[in-house]
This record gives sequence, C-alpha cells and structure tokens, in this order.
Amino acid sequence: MTPPLPILPTTVIGSYSMPEWLERAKNEYLSRRLSKRDLDEMHDAVRKAALKDQETAGIDIVSDGEAQRDNMIDYFTERMPGVQVDLGSKRFYYDFYDSIVRSKLATGTLGLAEEARFLGRFSDHKSKISISGPHTLVKRIQNKFYDTEEAFAFDLGRVLNLELKELVRAGATDLQIDEPYYSGFPEDLPWAIKAINAMVDGVNANITLHVCYGNRYGKPSFEGSYKFLFPAILGAKINTVSMEFARRGEDDLQLFKEFNVPFNVGIGVIDVKTNEVESAGFVADRIRRALEVIPAERLVITPDCGLVRLHRDVAFGKLCAMVEGTKTVRKELGR
Amino acid sequence: MIVHINHISQSKKPRNGKPSPQSEMAGLVTGSLMSLVEDGVLDAKMAPSLRIHLDWIQYKTNFRDPVMVRRTTSAQGQALPLAEIAIDLRQADATGLPIALARAVKSLDAGPQSNVENHLYLDEFRPYRDCLIWSFNRLFWRYLGDWENASGKGFEAALPGGSSDANHPQAVSDSVADFWTLLRDLETRGQLPAEIFGLEIGVGSGARAAAWLDRFKALDEQCGTNFYSRLHFILGDYSPTSLERAVAAVAHHGDHVSGVPLDALNPYKALTAHRFKIMYVHLTNVYDNLPFDDLVRRDGKLYLVEVRAYLNGPLVDQLTADFGVSRADLPGMVEKLLEGGPYAVFEGEKGVAFWRRVWDTFKLEERLRALDEREEDHVPPGLSRTHLEDLLAEAPDDVRFHISRGAGESFANTLPLLHPRGFLQVQDIFVSEMDDYRKGFRGPGKLDGSLVTWVNGALLRAVGARAGYDVHFAPFPYRPGTKTSILYTTQRD
Repeated sequence: MTPPLPILPTTVIGSYSMPEWLERAKNEYLSRRLSKRDLDEMHDAVRKAALKDQETAGIDIVSDGEAQRDNMIDYFTERMPGVQVDLGSKRFYYDFYDSIVRSKLATGTLGLAEEARFLGRFSDHKSKISISGPHTLVKRIQNKFYDTEEAFAFDLGRVLNLELKELVRAGATDLQIDEPYYSGFPEDLPWAIKAINAMVDGVNANITLHVCYGNRYGKPSFEGSYKFLFPAILGAKINTVSMEFARRGEDDLQLFKEFNVPFNVGIGVIDVKTNEVESAGFVADRIRRALEVIPAERLVITPDCGLVRLHRDVAFGKLCAMVEGTKTVRKELGR
Repeated sequence: MIVHINHISQSKKPRNGKPSPQSEMAGLVTGSLMSLVEDGVLDAKMAPSLRIHLDWIQYKTNFRDPVMVRRTTSAQGQALPLAEIAIDLRQADATGLPIALARAVKSLDAGPQSNVENHLYLDEFRPYRDCLIWSFNRLFWRYLGDWENASGKGFEAALPGGSSDANHPQAVSDSVADFWTLLRDLETRGQLPAEIFGLEIGVGSGARAAAWLDRFKALDEQCGTNFYSRLHFILGDYSPTSLERAVAAVAHHGDHVSGVPLDALNPYKALTAHRFKIMYVHLTNVYDNLPFDDLVRRDGKLYLVEVRAYLNGPLVDQLTADFGVSRADLPGMVEKLLEGGPYAVFEGEKGVAFWRRVWDTFKLEERLRALDEREEDHVPPGLSRTHLEDLLAEAPDDVRFHISRGAGESFANTLPLLHPRGFLQVQDIFVSEMDDYRKGFRGPGKLDGSLVTWVNGALLRAVGARAGYDVHFAPFPYRPGTKTSILYTTQRD
C-alpha cells in the first residue's frame, strides 16, 4: 500500500539518464556482438538504479527510467501486432527502425505488463508507465493499409486500449500517453483527441496526457504556442495534462485563465535540454507562478520531458532540485 | 620499400606526350632511392620496411620542407623502428632532390636528435591542436589590419582562389531564396516565430552579410511578405577588426543587425539566450581555420601526428642578418611576438616586417606517436572514441586523416542555437568521405599570415547524427573548379 500523495505531487515524465556504456551495449546488440540475455540484464540493472535515484531524490510517482526502450517509437512498433519492422534498418540504437503497416492491426498484447510487474517488485513508491500515443505512432509508421491517418490512429487506439487494460490488470495505477507530435501537426488535433479517448475508454487508471515540443536528441522538434490545444483538448477523457514550461517560459500558463480545464495540470519546471542544474529556489518560483493561475490541488510538478539525454549526475541533481523547490512551496501553502 | 602515391588526380593540362611534373619527380624519387640502395647509402636490410610518401600539396606554401623524415615513437615517446620519408613533389626541385633524399636517408641512422639542416627549433613535439601555428593564427586575426597594410592586399586575396566564395552573388541569392521559402512555409502552418533570427559566424569583410540582407529585403518587398521587419541578423566574430568592419558594411540595415564578439569554437556561449531560436546560420571558411589533429593508421596501428616548430636553417641566417639580431635571441623574440604582437619586438613597420619574415621561415617537423588505447585527448568534445572507431571502420587501412576537432566543437556548439526548423549552411573545403583522404594531402597549407586545412566532413556527419541532424554535402556550383562545397543540415528524424 503506497502512502497518499502530498499536495503538489512530483513525478517524472518517464525516461531517466541513459548511461553511455549502455548506449554502446545497445549498439553492440544491434551488431549481434552482444546477446539479448546480457542486454536485458544490463537494462534491469539500470532500471533498478533509476528507481533508486528517483526514490532518493524524493519523487512521489516514479518510473522505471525506460532504459529498455531504444526510443519512444521502436519499443512499441516492435511489439505491435501487424506492424512490420525492418530489424536491419538501424545501426545506432537511438535511430528509428523502418516500420510499415500493410493490413489491419491484429488484436494482441504488446507485453508491456512486464513493466508494471517490475515496478511492483522493485519499488514501493507509486509508479507510472508511459506509452506513446496513437497520433505519434501514426506519424512514424508507414501506412499502406488505412485510408486515412485518422482511421489508422483509431485502430491503434483500439489495440492500445487493450494494452492499457492489461497494464491495469498487472497492477498499474498511473498511465501516461505521450503525444509530442501534436505540436508539429496542430491541424490533426480534433481526430487525435478522439483517438486518445478511444485508447483510454474503460481503463481504470489515472491517465495523463503529455504534450511537449519534442525531446529527440535533446532538442525540440517543433516550436510554437500551446494555444493550438484549445479548446479541443478540453474534450479529452484524461485526469491530467502534462506540458513543458521550463524551457519555453510561462506565457502559455495564461491559457489556463482563459480556459477552465476539467483536469489536473502537470507543469514542467525542469529544463531537460540543458545540463545546467536549476536551483530549488528557481523551481519554487516557477511553481509559484503556476499557482497564480492553477489551484494547488490540481497541480502536478514534473520535468519538461524525459531525462534520457542528460548525464546521470545532472538528471539526479535536477530531480533533487525539483523536489526541494516543491517542498518549499508546500511549506508556504502550509501543507 | 613501400611507396605511397598520395596524389591521385587526372592531369587537367594537355602534356603532348610528356610526363607531368609530378610524375617526373615521382620517377626521380624512386630512381634516386634505388641508387641509394645500390650505393649502400640506404641499408638493404632497412629498405624493405621504409615507407616513402609522395605528396603534391595544393598549397604552394606550406609548413613542410620538400623532404621530411617522419619517425615514430611509442605512446611514451620512445623511438620505434618505423620511419617514413615524405616528399612534397610540388616544392622539390629536380636538381636538389637526390641530395636531399640522400641526406634524409642518412639522418635515419643519425637518430631523432640530429639536426643536419641546422634548423632553429622553437618548441617541443606536440599535437597539431596545441602547436605554435595557432598562436600565429591568433596573431594574424588580432593584427589583421597591420598585416594587410604591409602586404598591400586584403586577406581574401590571399585565399587559394584569390577571393572568397562567400560573396558570390548567385550563391547569396539562392541562399536567401531558400531561407525565404522556409519562412513562408512556416507562416503557412502558423509556426513562424514573432522574431526571426539569422546568424553569420566569421564575418570576413561583411560583404556577404550585406549582400544577403540587401537581397532578403528586396525579395521580401517584392513578395510583400513582411518578413524583413521581423528579422534580426547577428554578426559573430572573434576578431574585433573584422567585426567592426562587417558591422560598418551592413550599417544601412540599422537595428536589424548587431555584432557579437564570439569564439567560433563555442558560439553557444555568447548566444545562450538564442538557444533553439536561430532560423539560419551561415559560415564560410571558418572551419578550415580551426584547430585539428592528424591521425595516421599504419599496419593496423593508430598514431597521432605530432609536430615540432622550427625556423628553416638556411633562411634563419638571412633573417638574423636582415634584422641585426643573433640566432640565440631569435626564439625569445618569436615568443615575444606571439605574446605581445609585432610592436612588442620592433617599433613600427619593422615589427610587422619581422613577423612576416618569421612566418615565411616557419616550418613544422612531424613525427608519429603511437596512441595509447586509453588516450582520449584527441577525441573532440561531444564525441567519444566509438565515433572515431566508426570513422576508422569506413576508412582505408593505410590512411592519414584529420580529426577536425575545432570544426567538430564549433559545429556541436552551434547546433543548439538552431530553431527546430532552422538550418545551418557552411561553405568550406570538406573531405566528405574517409576514402578521399587517400587521394591527396589535405593540409594544412600556409596562407599569407594564417593557415587553412581541409575539414573532415565525415566527422561532422557523426557529430550531427549525435545531435539530431543529418549532414549533407553539395558541390558549390557557382565557380567552376572551386574546391569549396556546401554543408547543410536537415533535422534528423
């Protein structure tokens, strides 16, 4: 039984620092110079270390750090029934495989439940698991079957819905859907939100929708304003929307004055694209500014995105600063 | 004996059945060496393992004497048996070549400390990245105006083509058109930022920036897109003289332009506030003037090229006579020159004249130091040994190539400035495939006051891939025969 969450709960987006030696090992595996068994052992060791770091930093809702995922696409396409993946199409682990769908997606599991079981076994903290959303997958898998991207996204939503339910059966309580491509294709939003709703339909878990501007190679893929999300996002059947503010500035927080969102808001207070570790005071200031427009009861404190591109000491330092800054504000709130 | 012919190129001039100068000289080298064996000057037991390198260095002036002995050492600096004799066929003269070769062969027996040419050494052996050429290079850019006054010509006239490809009107016009198209696409998608930033690093005379801005303004007016009013163009350079000159050249663009002193190795440091905001970055002939290392692979083993700076023996005597100084005083005077500038050595024009003569006399002796497995100093910032191993995997077995560490560092420290849809464009001399290193000597070459060396494009491709960019190379189509090519980035998926 995990303890109840404090006000202003802290969490991560998903990924934790990827050790350089593990990157090399992943490349070795791709070149068939390392066995799957050896690589899996390394992954598990790094996942346990990631959990330990987050717990030590004081994060309320932890993840396994996602060391076993090459990137946010391949991990899912490799497992997606009916998606053909060219396993010879990459040499560097972080690259994307070429993947293609030529027929209707089959109904089957992706096997993500193992992550829920791993978290249950190795951490007594509340935890969450991130899954790439249908819009993101549509933009990366070559579609040779469905008439429209929308139709493809809906079918992905159907398969992912079953997977989310599998995760809940395996003990997952908090699930996050990552959709970084919204920012590059704002015109897709009306059907992309419907696909999310299909994906979470009947799933008994806290659902977060993470919308950022991308973090591939530690840089944004798009730029702009979160204005494009509104009002379409108000129809999303989610518990929390998570957004990046640390790197981009807080101008878009004003959108929450303009629109009365029916869910919690996760605000990014840690810039994950710089090695400079923020001070706790700096983090506290960011939270205070968010509190001007969002009530404390509905605020969740997060980094802007995953920490995968940061060195471990930097990532750990940033999480510690995030937790300390949050504690300062909790004290000010008397909670 | 292994003879490496490092210059592989079809002759561009009609020869009417006669051999080219380089093939004639190559014949003379092999003939002379065979005679040296026959005459017992070159030990017949040693000859089979001797390596002879025949180069044709494209730069008429460079840092090598026509015939050079390259010894090898262990990682700790102890002499190893492998030795090379390198001949620049372009500099060598047919009359003196057999004698120079015989002297080089004899010096192999004399040991590393021999100084048969009576050179005046200025330094110890050290990697290219740390050698004195960079002190001279800094001096040049710091006292650019004084050098130009003394030489009677602008520095661009000293470039191999006699002018900079940066300013070619059609190249500028096409660059502007590409940029304008990008802005229009972004605007169509509602993703154009309120402020549009452009950046040129290494501004030269400012002529390119002026031409680019003039053309951009005209195109914007012609199309009625109103992008110019949102444009801010940054000129970045570490030479105060260049920056001042360039800002003056674009003064008619008023507040649309600002000059920022920056180190080309780390533009990000001076422009942190512009992270992920700059839509267009341009550089011309900057990377070819940044520190590098040279690596050599022989018989599967990797060596770092180390150099020892010297003033050529016979030329030193003329220099001391002309300036009324003693040979013993010269190293101290050169040190003073590099630290305090030309006027710290002699007052007025004589100081610059002294500097110019020292530069003419300045040479580098090379040796190959075996690389220790654990050594990482030669790995550029932002890269790891595995990247170099990838490069070597695609390189031929026997190869000498640049580790363009300055270019790699500059490139890696510029990419974080780019807006996600922005692009970086570099006009320079690139070796885009590792195999091309077998086909010719790629520098360094000595320019009038500064230096130039080819840039390892394959290395930049590795840096780009790591940072999320695909790096492409296209020929520079605007001037036939130019060796310039264009590097441009696209966002890596």
